[in-house]
Amino acid sequence: MKKYNKITPEGTKDLLFEECLTHRHVERLLANVFASHGFHEVVTPGLEFYDVFHFDSSAISQERMYKMTDQRGRLVVMRPDSTIPIARVTATHLQNQPKPLRFYYTQHIYRNTPGLTGRSDEIMQSGIELIGASGKRADLEVIVTAIEALSKCVPDFRMELGHAGFFQAIAQQLPIAEHWKEDIRATIEAKNYAALNTMLDRLEQGPAVDAMRKLPRLFGGKEIFEEAAPFCLNEKTAETLDYLRQIYEALSVLGLGDRIMVDLGLVQRNDYYTNIIFSAYVEECGDAILTGGRYDNLLASFDSPMPAVGFAINVDEITRVLMERNKGKKMPNVDILVHSEDGYEIKALNYAANLVEQNLRCENSIFPDREESLEYARRMGICRVDFVGDTIETVHKINL
Amino acid sequence: MKPLRIALTKGRLEKDTVALFEKIGYDCTAIKNKGRKLILPVGNNQFAVVLAKAADVITYVEHGVCDLGVVGKDTIMENGTSFYEVLDLGFGKCRFALAAPKGKKFYEGYHAKTIATKYPNVARSFFESKAMDVQIIKIEGSVELAPLLGLSDGIVDIVETGSTLRENGLEVVEDVCDISARLIVNTASLKLRKAEIQALIEEIERAKA
Repeated sequence: MKKYNKITPEGTKDLLFEECLTHRHVERLLANVFASHGFHEVVTPGLEFYDVFHFDSSAISQERMYKMTDQRGRLVVMRPDSTIPIARVTATHLQNQPKPLRFYYTQHIYRNTPGLTGRSDEIMQSGIELIGASGKRADLEVIVTAIEALSKCVPDFRMELGHAGFFQAIAQQLPIAEHWKEDIRATIEAKNYAALNTMLDRLEQGPAVDAMRKLPRLFGGKEIFEEAAPFCLNEKTAETLDYLRQIYEALSVLGLGDRIMVDLGLVQRNDYYTNIIFSAYVEECGDAILTGGRYDNLLASFDSPMPAVGFAINVDEITRVLMERNKGKKMPNVDILVHSEDGYEIKALNYAANLVEQNLRCENSIFPDREESLEYARRMGICRVDFVGDTIETVHKINL
Repeated sequence: MKPLRIALTKGRLEKDTVALFEKIGYDCTAIKNKGRKLILPVGNNQFAVVLAKAADVITYVEHGVCDLGVVGKDTIMENGTSFYEVLDLGFGKCRFALAAPKGKKFYEGYHAKTIATKYPNVARSFFESKAMDVQIIKIEGSVELAPLLGLSDGIVDIVETGSTLRENGLEVVEDVCDISARLIVNTASLKLRKAEIQALIEEIERAKA
């Protein structure tokens, strides 16, 4: 029988030393930003019932979830998303708490990705959810927090804004069945201009069809608002566009300049988003490193409708980018190696503990022989060795 | 900033793409005299072309190590979708079709059908859309053999002229969809390098018109 006892499952990996340090460093940076803005940490179970993630507008297909059954034969999944469990918590345990509620989390999500594509199945996400608050103040707070958090890690990111409602408002005016709208949405999402045109050519031409045709190309800077203006055919589209412009203009005081972009063709990558949506990119990543948005309908799936907005950051990808940029954390050397002569082991351990109390990094030598301890210190780049016997003897700068 | 990287599907699509680039006015001598090199500059280093197998074009673009790619719709349907598919380049035209031995009524009877194909995902989703249970067998080489040898009831494969089918006593039962070469773009690249990519797309659109 073949044993898989020396390898890890596809899409997972061990985090070692520098990478692990950098990873934890990023987690702490993000958590500090979130905590200092009044968000409180939560951890949700790694295992949840499948039903939690199985509702009409859930964008997580069953093929992508790791599933198993509990002792009563009920279907459970490894947490494929953090926002949905937090919505569940809010709608149940926290239903009667005064709103808004501010959450942050740093936890793994699991996705069963198709084999051999080089994608991770275990992804560390860190993010916030602001639940029970609607409107511009809440949206701006969350987006600005996202910007602040990313600025601490990868300050050259670009942020992109969109609005899930813009497409919906135009689609409403097309005299076609719902499943057709879904097909059109998918082609806009893929910026598949060719397929979109073929589909729209079959419809009766009119201003709404023209607007749809232009939608995937409506991305870029502030000029997009002018370009999109002619397509605001009804109050709803005009309102949506105006709201997006307000957010854009409010953010412009942050001095990010053209690093804030607009994409009106950003049509609900994740189906629970209802309103403003945003994502962030850096050059070394083929995918967004942050995604977020407003999801005012999600809590209704748990029978407790309330508005909500949040985002998630891919900590693994940020770590990878920092390592690639040589901005990872280096392994710190210890300050002192403590060697114990025969019979003085406990004295040496106590001595080391005392040094640690004085904020020195101290490593205990396991070698019985002095020369071996010195050799080890040289190899590890430790600059000082203290020999503990009857007396304490210190050797400095042993590398010289 | 480093030049844009475009992954081209080796072979016929590569030649058609080079013809298109030359029509725009890019110097493609490096691609034509490539020898064994796999990354080649185009024009005055305006961008770099990477030559790869069809499915790898998608992999490179999805991961963002190439910004753009030229690949057949057949490969896209079989392999994945998390990128932007911005242009139908209009060459490399053919179609996916379901074919079966001539004269045999494929849809007749109630026994579960067996389908041989090089494109299991395409075949699966085609029959799923018909709510038909079929057994799919993946074949690497000449798929036409499978029904002739009695392994399958039909095949789902790329059909250009249909002559291979005719010569082997097969006929098209139903078209699955049309295929042509597509220009695909990595999602992050399109956002981060919009001006350059949009300019290139427009040049290509004008050249193919």
